[in-house]
Amino acid sequence: MSSFDYVRPTSLAEAVELLNDQTYQNMPLAGGTDLMVYLHHEGPTYSRLVDISTLPDLKKISKKGQTITIGSGVTFTRVIENKTLQQDVSFLIQACRAIGSPQIRNGGTIGGNVANAAACADSLPVLVCLDASVHLLGPKGATREMPVSEFVLSPNETNINSGELITHFSFLAPPDGTRSAFIKLGRRNAQAISRLTMAVMVRIDSTGKIDFARVTPGAATPQTSRFTAAEEVLIGQKPGKVVYEKAAKQVSETMIEVTGRRWSTEYKEPAIQALTVRALQKALDDTP
Amino acid sequence: MLIEFTLNGKAASIESPPDISLLDMLRDFVGLTGTKESCGVGECGACSVILDGEIINSCMVLAPQVIGRKVVTIEGIAGPDEKLNDMQQNFIDYGAVQCGFCIPGMILAGEALLMKNPEPTRLEIREAISGNLCRCTGYQQIVDAIEVTAKQRLKKA
Repeated sequence: MSSFDYVRPTSLAEAVELLNDQTYQNMPLAGGTDLMVYLHHEGPTYSRLVDISTLPDLKKISKKGQTITIGSGVTFTRVIENKTLQQDVSFLIQACRAIGSPQIRNGGTIGGNVANAAACADSLPVLVCLDASVHLLGPKGATREMPVSEFVLSPNETNINSGELITHFSFLAPPDGTRSAFIKLGRRNAQAISRLTMAVMVRIDSTGKIDFARVTPGAATPQTSRFTAAEEVLIGQKPGKVVYEKAAKQVSETMIEVTGRRWSTEYKEPAIQALTVRALQKALDDTP
Repeated sequence: MLIEFTLNGKAASIESPPDISLLDMLRDFVGLTGTKESCGVGECGACSVILDGEIINSCMVLAPQVIGRKVVTIEGIAGPDEKLNDMQQNFIDYGAVQCGFCIPGMILAGEALLMKNPEPTRLEIREAISGNLCRCTGYQQIVDAIEVTAKQRLKKA
């Protein structure tokens, strides 16, 4: 006898209906890159997998007006290959390229990355930096929308209700002239779990001063959020290493305010400062 | 459950439990043992196969997920006479094979790259095999073999 059943819905409505069928303990299956590892180590804690990996409704990427929408079933490879996303949110491309290996990026999805909510999830700081919203579909067609920063509560813990499915993410395209960057600190380039990451967006106005700044570290605090105090340090200043270092110091101070001083702080404090400076340099000083 | 899909270009119907990986189905229920299991958790690439034109780890795909889809394993890339294909021969000629355990995955990663990008740089080749661990060769000869294969195929085309 098999340890669980498998079912493949052909529409979004059917998927949600299956997920809410109380005869089973249901779990959605998309890229499998987290779920199959869990299965390998822990064995099943569900009685049926609902395979959403081929649902076309979850695979769309679109831009209407200034609003960009990415389906939850879009794989990292499809994000990387998408022209609109390359143009408007290059740091999302950089983050998705930093994930795993070609094999993982071909299977893993952006929805799964957020739903699994690993501390090291690489798309998460970028989505939070963009003030992105997550859209959920529940029983009887009920939809919910909330900021990604409020959806992911702490590592592996989200605000999702049982029987709900993430359908897509939406965010406004950054204002014209915005530069962005993502940097990851891991033990090697391929297949590395992020120790710390940094996502930044900045823009310089006509007088040469920073008039728009967003700073979001990943894996630094239990709940991923924009570090607004560091953003304020940058705004109104001329770009340069001195101001980047000031912002970096503010980033590490905010991190320690949230986490307290721990055994790893001695390492993380200079590391996150260096990541902040390098991310700002990558965004502003590199030729676009 | 009955799993119907295209395997190495031919229609396949395999009776398999629904709760095993594509890797286990290929090895234990189809009898194709060229696909190797090493880590079982998506880190080493030994179990790589091509699914709908893209390289994936077959240990991370649930067997029934391939219903109606196209899977190519190492057994599917040889010519109709079952001779080694050009990439396989180049792996031998360029000394890219030592213990051999990673090689089916390596060759499929190379094939998947050339399907998308027939003229890759060495850096692109290294990126394409970055999900495949080899503990013997140091990778240089593997990169050589894929690079030479790409160049030879371009010449023929």
